[in-house]
Amino acid sequence: MAGILMRRLTGALPILLIVSLLTFGLIHMIPGDPAVAIAGMSATPEQIANIRHNLGLDEPLLTQLVRWYANLLQGELGTSLLLGQPVLHVVAVRLPVTLALSAYALVLTLLIGLISGILAALRQNTWIDQVAMVFAMLGISLPNFYLGLLMIILFAVDLRWLPTGGYVPLTSDPLGWLATSTMPAISLALLLAGLLARITRSTMLEVLRQDYIRTARAKGLPERRVVLKHALANAMIPITTVVGIIVSLLLSGSVVTETLFSIPGIGQLLTQAVLNRDYPMVQGGLLMTTALLVLVNIGVDVCYALLDPRVRYERG
Amino acid sequence: MSGGSVSNPTLRRLLHHRLFMLGCVLFGIVLVVAALAPVIAPVDPNKLAMRFKFRPPSQEFIFGTDNFGRSLWSRVIWGAQLSMIIGASVVVINAIAGTAIGAAAGYFARLDNMLMRVNDALMAFPAVLLAIAVTAVLGPSVNDVIIALAIVYTPRTARIVRSSVIVLREMEYVQAARAAGAGHWRILRRHILPNAMAPLIVQLSFLFAYAVLTEATLSFLGVGAVPPTPTWGNIMAEGRQYMTDAPWIITIPGAALMITVLGLNLLGDGLRDVLDPRLRVQQ
Amino acid sequence: MRPGLAATFGALATILTAAGAARAEPFKCPHIGGDLVFAQEANINTLDQMTSSTISTRNIAMNIYEALMTRDENNHPILELAEAMTEAPDHLTYTFKLRQGIKFHNGKPMTSADVVASFDRYAKVGNQRSTLDNVASWDAPDASTFVIHMKKVQPTFIEALSSFSVPIVIIPAENRDVPAQQLTNPIGTGPFQLVESVPGSFVKLKRYDDYKPNTTFQERTGFGGYKQACLDTVTFRIVTEPGARVAGLKTGELQAVEDIPAKSATDLKTDKNVVILPLKNWWIQIANPNTSAPPTDNPLIRKAIQAALDMDEVMDAASDGNYQLNVGFQYPNQPDYTDAGKETYNQHNAAVAKKYLTEANYQGEPVVLLTNKDYPSMYNSALVMQQQLQAVGINAQMKVVDWPTSVQMWLNSPQGWNFHFTGWGTQPALGALATMQFLVEPNASYKPKDGKDDPDVLAAWNDMNTQLTEQGRQEAFARMQKLVLERVYAIPFGSYTKLQAVRSNVNGFVPFRIPRMANVWLTH
Repeated sequence: MAGILMRRLTGALPILLIVSLLTFGLIHMIPGDPAVAIAGMSATPEQIANIRHNLGLDEPLLTQLVRWYANLLQGELGTSLLLGQPVLHVVAVRLPVTLALSAYALVLTLLIGLISGILAALRQNTWIDQVAMVFAMLGISLPNFYLGLLMIILFAVDLRWLPTGGYVPLTSDPLGWLATSTMPAISLALLLAGLLARITRSTMLEVLRQDYIRTARAKGLPERRVVLKHALANAMIPITTVVGIIVSLLLSGSVVTETLFSIPGIGQLLTQAVLNRDYPMVQGGLLMTTALLVLVNIGVDVCYALLDPRVRYERG
Repeated sequence: MSGGSVSNPTLRRLLHHRLFMLGCVLFGIVLVVAALAPVIAPVDPNKLAMRFKFRPPSQEFIFGTDNFGRSLWSRVIWGAQLSMIIGASVVVINAIAGTAIGAAAGYFARLDNMLMRVNDALMAFPAVLLAIAVTAVLGPSVNDVIIALAIVYTPRTARIVRSSVIVLREMEYVQAARAAGAGHWRILRRHILPNAMAPLIVQLSFLFAYAVLTEATLSFLGVGAVPPTPTWGNIMAEGRQYMTDAPWIITIPGAALMITVLGLNLLGDGLRDVLDPRLRVQQ
Repeated sequence: MRPGLAATFGALATILTAAGAARAEPFKCPHIGGDLVFAQEANINTLDQMTSSTISTRNIAMNIYEALMTRDENNHPILELAEAMTEAPDHLTYTFKLRQGIKFHNGKPMTSADVVASFDRYAKVGNQRSTLDNVASWDAPDASTFVIHMKKVQPTFIEALSSFSVPIVIIPAENRDVPAQQLTNPIGTGPFQLVESVPGSFVKLKRYDDYKPNTTFQERTGFGGYKQACLDTVTFRIVTEPGARVAGLKTGELQAVEDIPAKSATDLKTDKNVVILPLKNWWIQIANPNTSAPPTDNPLIRKAIQAALDMDEVMDAASDGNYQLNVGFQYPNQPDYTDAGKETYNQHNAAVAKKYLTEANYQGEPVVLLTNKDYPSMYNSALVMQQQLQAVGINAQMKVVDWPTSVQMWLNSPQGWNFHFTGWGTQPALGALATMQFLVEPNASYKPKDGKDDPDVLAAWNDMNTQLTEQGRQEAFARMQKLVLERVYAIPFGSYTKLQAVRSNVNGFVPFRIPRMANVWLTH
């Protein structure tokens, strides 16, 4: 177990290196000047040039790359050009926002997805199954920004049950947080719940077909025990791998959702950073986000290994 | 019986699969509409007509008009064509590139490590952000969006092909073929790839849907194909500011998007149900 | 001839310093207290006003900071932290007498040492330090006097010194050596002080209890005047989505909003709880030609293009109906306004356009309109212009990129585009001098071939700067505007009206170049 963990962690390093190089190259290939974005609309060429100089943007690329890596090794991620604050600080402030929202969405996803998937599998081909799968299907076919827009119009503007956007931190006002996070979480969760429901259903069906289930049933074990102890436990293994995908999709989905609902999270931060050529933020922010994703995937792999003894002996 | 040919029982099963057929119908409608765009939407989707701005759907303007008086009917239909082109292109590129990379990685152990490192690095980026960055570099044309989406999704396809190839490589008939002296290429072509097709085909149909959805998301964020190109995402983005007054600018292309994705998902589901490799015992 | 800025200032200064006690009651807050949430369009990257030229920074920073001089409601220069200013007869020395009893937000009294330090810092890192190019030195003979010595006579110096584009705000002397953009804890002398700033989310200000209002005035005017902080706190919230701003205004979460889309205005007009406040002349919608790239290097082609344009249609699309037709580079309510060159404006004459095209032997070469999708007005105006040009047979094509790319192309690429779409906001508000700066070297906006400006235009510009009389400078500006319009070195489409809005319980909020939070109060 420790062996797998170590191997995975060391394997992650070259990935992160490639990611950081790719990011640096990519962001600097984008035409357009961050100084322009920072200087604002009515800026004169003199003002733009001054800003560019202040930010060290008129230095050769290689120098900038080397300096960035040197700082990175000292734990320094630089200062955001757009927000004027240290990248680390901004990410540290924004990341919990996205994490809280993602956690909320994840809980919704798991609840809705798992329960409907299991029910659908147990009551295969009944109306429960049909309804669940129709909803799941609609969930994965509805663009989440579309759903978000419709919800804003209905719940925020027309009914006034929820605010139109903005964010209240969980730590300062849990009820306010709930109010501002519910619509975004739902628009994120619906797609993923649909995905999870479908996968859960097919995995459960697969497992329920297995011999050992038939044996357990033949032995006269109560249905609930059959389901919970044998079927579900074995179904969890492939479902766990889906969790990794779901987390990655959550982060992707948060980009649009955060922009739409004006939530100051990582997704919105990085989008704005790319669009405004905020080099340090993109480089630092993307590196940290992908590091997080890689860690999550490693975690998933480890869980998978813990649950499925067969995997431990597979290569890599 | 050699693997790979779509046998009659499979085709029959597909045709009898109700949801698959529903998906085909839905997607088929979109496809046909997209192909017939020049015929059914002869009005230039970019033609401005300020006199007619913000007309709701009526007999004269079936889908209404937008803030420039442009016919939404035209825009949505030409948008369908764009979505189909983008989706199909991404799928084709992915099929070729993903299979090549995945097969190479799965079959040749020496290449696996290196290929998968880069693959995983690319997959580590959140999809939308990577797409944004690549389109920003390449430029905001339709072709560049296609390339960006292909880059984003190929790693996932490669992974799937690789998994299949790894498993198939160890199959007895492959070992037998190798022992008989067959070359790598022949083995891949005759024995491995055909049997790896099923999960790939399923993945590709979902990929079409992802491509269309992601493109709409990119356009919506303002980083996709550049306006006034009438992609569905662009139409919705431009209509966003008018959503309380002229909601049809958002609801109609959104519905079109949903129908397309729904059709593709049903299609993919049906394919997966029928082509499930566990039901096939092929040699 | 209408009085120019400096003359008006001179008159004002004499009147106000000599007037004495004959004045009405200064402004008193009808109600003290409350928190106002103001929704701002754009992010801020710094509150270090000296190093920033962005509107978003200025919105907040100019409620925190003050300067020696600033502009009033009609953009005339006025004194702010100084109570008197005398110009030496040889025009080479300006002596400022500072107001007494001014304290910084950290409790420290303001003295001339702080003013010297502020100027020192501005000269090093100020984003528009070229303002001080003609200044030889400055010093403080005593704690309440500050003197500026010029290298040579600059009749337009006071106008430049009072500019609010990148104002020389007065900061405590201990901040003198803080590097650019690293002044993260802004300490100023204004009616509000910083409480908290969360990047990308909000900035919170609170009333500065020891604020000393400028008793030379009775009311707030422009950036200065008699200011009082009636509100307890002001929260500037960053709300980049227009729909979110409108929705927040409707529900009351937001009490004031920097910008609402025109289409929402018609919907909000019926809402009794919301008041729409149009801000006229927010910017001049403009397209700058590239005179180094064919076919716009040919003056006849440019004249054809100019003749074909219907400015009403362009501005209507650009502003969703909230615009004014406007000749030239200043607005009618400004002292510098002139309609010289008006015969070139809004011709929408296809026949004349086609005549020019034939004369120029136009062969269908593409005319590329470089615009961006980040500013809808720029995008929309380009779209309409494209249609209008195509209608007279010009092969007009759009090149849509994003804002940073479009500016970079405009600045650095001599080829590949023929018209660059943008908006001139702060500069026309500052006056003719600041605006026409765009049309001369370096980086003249019409990209003259080989960087050699049109000599007639340059000559007029020089006169604008060096003529000793107000009349002389104004005449030079009229001459320059006429030349620019006749030779089509710029195509100003018209003036754009920005729509701001407040809840009906917000009083005293008058839209201006920045959202002024002083003299604003809430009722129930």
